[in-house]
Amino acid sequence: MFLHGPSGSGKSTLLGLLAGINPVQQGDIVTLGQSLAKLSHAKKDRFRADHIGTIFQNFNLLPYLSPLENVILGCEFSPARAKKAQQDGGSIPDQASNLLTALGIETHQLHCNVATLSIGQQQRVAAARAFIGRPEIIIADEPTSALDADTREAFITTLFSQAKKYQATIIFVSHDNNLAKLFDREISLPSINGASQ
Amino acid sequence: MTLLKLALKSCYNRRASVILTLFTIAISVMLLLSIERVRIDAKSSFSNTISSTDLIVGARTGDIQLLLVSVFRIGHSNNAVSWQSYQDIKQRRGVAWTIPISLGDSHKGYSVLGTDSHYFTHYRFGKKQPLKFSAGRAFHNAQEVVLGSEVAKKLHYHLGQKIVISHGMGNTSFHHHDDNPMTIVGILEPTGTPVDKTVHVPLIAIETIHSSTSTPRSIKQKSRDVDTQTTHSDEHEHGPLESEPGDLIGTPKQITAFLMGFDSPLYTLQVRRNINQYKAEPLLAIMPTVTLKELWEMLDIVEKILLLFSMVVVVISLLGMLTTLLATLNQRRRELAILRSVGARPWHIFSLMSFEAILITLTGCVFGTLGFYGALFTIEPLLQSQFGISLSINTLSSYELTLLSVIMVAGTVMGLIPAARAYFYSLNDGMSIKI
Repeated sequence: MFLHGPSGSGKSTLLGLLAGINPVQQGDIVTLGQSLAKLSHAKKDRFRADHIGTIFQNFNLLPYLSPLENVILGCEFSPARAKKAQQDGGSIPDQASNLLTALGIETHQLHCNVATLSIGQQQRVAAARAFIGRPEIIIADEPTSALDADTREAFITTLFSQAKKYQATIIFVSHDNNLAKLFDREISLPSINGASQ
Repeated sequence: MTLLKLALKSCYNRRASVILTLFTIAISVMLLLSIERVRIDAKSSFSNTISSTDLIVGARTGDIQLLLVSVFRIGHSNNAVSWQSYQDIKQRRGVAWTIPISLGDSHKGYSVLGTDSHYFTHYRFGKKQPLKFSAGRAFHNAQEVVLGSEVAKKLHYHLGQKIVISHGMGNTSFHHHDDNPMTIVGILEPTGTPVDKTVHVPLIAIETIHSSTSTPRSIKQKSRDVDTQTTHSDEHEHGPLESEPGDLIGTPKQITAFLMGFDSPLYTLQVRRNINQYKAEPLLAIMPTVTLKELWEMLDIVEKILLLFSMVVVVISLLGMLTTLLATLNQRRRELAILRSVGARPWHIFSLMSFEAILITLTGCVFGTLGFYGALFTIEPLLQSQFGISLSINTLSSYELTLLSVIMVAGTVMGLIPAARAYFYSLNDGMSIKI
C-alpha cells in the first residue's frame, strides 16, 4: 500500500497510531484484528514488537552495533519474532545474515561499522531488521527519500520480493507520487484526512 | 543481547566522554577514601602515641603544652621539675613506676631525651606495646646512646658508631660538645610515634653535655635509682657493645617532666590532685589520654572541613556525570526512537539509561578504590617518616564500604534523572525521530 501526502498531512501520526505508539484518543484502530484502543501501553509495545517492522527515513541503525547486530535487534524485544526467525534460518544470527545477503549486503560487511556503509546499504540493513521474524506489517516512513532515483527503485523491488516471500504488508509512506505506480494500492492522505482540513 | 550489553556498547561508542566522567568519579572516590583513611589513621596514630601512662607531671604550664613537650617533643618548657620533687612524688603510695625525662638538646635536628632505664621497660605506645630493639640494647653508662628507628635510618647510623650531642635545639647548634662522643648501643624498632625521632641518652649525659668542664663523671657514683643499679659484672668480653655498666642518673638538679604509672587507676586521680596542689613548687599533672583527646578535638574542625571538601568533590563529580548524560541525551533521541520502533518499552529505555549511570559510577568506584590503594602505597612511607602517621594498608573497612555504597546510591539516583527524561521523550516522541 502506498500512502502519500505533503508534509504535515498527518502521515507520521497515522503511522504512530497504527504502530500503537501514539495513543488512540477517539474511536478505534483495528490492526490485524486487534483493537489498539483497548490495549494497555505494555501490550501495545508487545504488539508492535511482534507484528510490525519499521524502516525510517534515514539513520535507521544504532551506530554502536554491527549491521548483523542491528538486524538481530529486531528480535530482541519479541520472543515471537525470535522464534519465527529461528524457524526460518536455523538460528537468529543465521536468519539475520540470510536476510542481509538477500538484500544485497556482502558477507564481509556483516560485522563492520555501520557508519562505513552507504545510505542505501544502511536502508537495506534496516529493511532486514524490519523483515526478521516475519512481522505481518512493515511500516516504511519515507525510506527512499535519502536515496537517488536508481537505488530507489532497486530498493523498493527488493523490498517487494522480500515482502512476498514473508507475506508481509508494506505500508509505504512517501511524498513522491512517482513511486505510486509500483504499489497495489494508493491512498492520498489529504483526501481522506478530515482532521487536517 | 541484553539491555546491559546494549548499555555497554552504547557507552563504548561514546567512550571519550564516558571515560572522562569515569575519571572524574574515580579521582573523587580516591580522594575521599584517601582523606578518610588518613584522617582516621592519623587520629588513631595520634591517640596511640603514648599508652599505659597514667600521669605526666611537669612544671606548671598548660595541659596541652605539657603534652606537646613531653610526648610530641614540640615546643619547649621554660620551667622544670626539681629532682627533689621527683624523688618525693615517686615515693607516693600506689606508684608502680616513673620515667624521668629531660629534653632540650638536639642531635642534627632530632630531639635528645635524657632518661633512665625505666624508659625501656615501662614506656608503652599504641595498644600497650613496649619498645623493642631492632638492634643492640639499652644504654648501660653515660657514654652510650639509643636511637629511635628513624634517626638511625635517616642519618645512616649503625651500632658502635660514635656521635656527638649538641647543646640546645635545632640543626645549627654552635655549641658542639666534641669532647663528649657517645657510642650507639641500641636502635629501637619503628613505633610510628615521636620515639622514632628521638635520641635517647642517660640522664647523666644531659648533665655532661651541659657541664663546661670536660671531666667525665665518675662512673662509680652511687646510683640514686634502685632499678638502674646494674650489677658490676666481671665478664669483660670484647665487642663493640660491651661496656662497663655505670651510673645513668648522675646528680641532676631538674628534669623536664616525668611519666607515672600506678598500680591501680584509683590512685591516679588522688595523686594528680596532690601534685596539682604541690607545695614545694608549682607542678602540673595531666592524664595523657584525656589531654590527647582534648588536643584532637581542637583539630576536629580541620578534619571536618577535610571531610566536607572531599564529599563536595564527590558530589561535583556525580553532577558532572549528570551533565554529560543529559547533554548526550538529546543526541541519543534517535537511538531511543529506533529502540522503541523495534518494540522496546519505555521502561526498557529507562533501565538502559539507569544501567549506564550505574555502570559509570560502579566503574568509577572500582578505579577510585584501585587508585586509593595506589596512593596509599605511595604516601604511606612519606606520612610515616614526615608525620609519624602509620597508615594501615588493609582491606576496605566497613566505614569505607559504606562511603562507597553511598556514592553508588547517589550515582544511581543521579542516573535516574536522565533516565526519567529519556522515558518521557520516548513516550512523547513516539516513532518520529526528532533531532
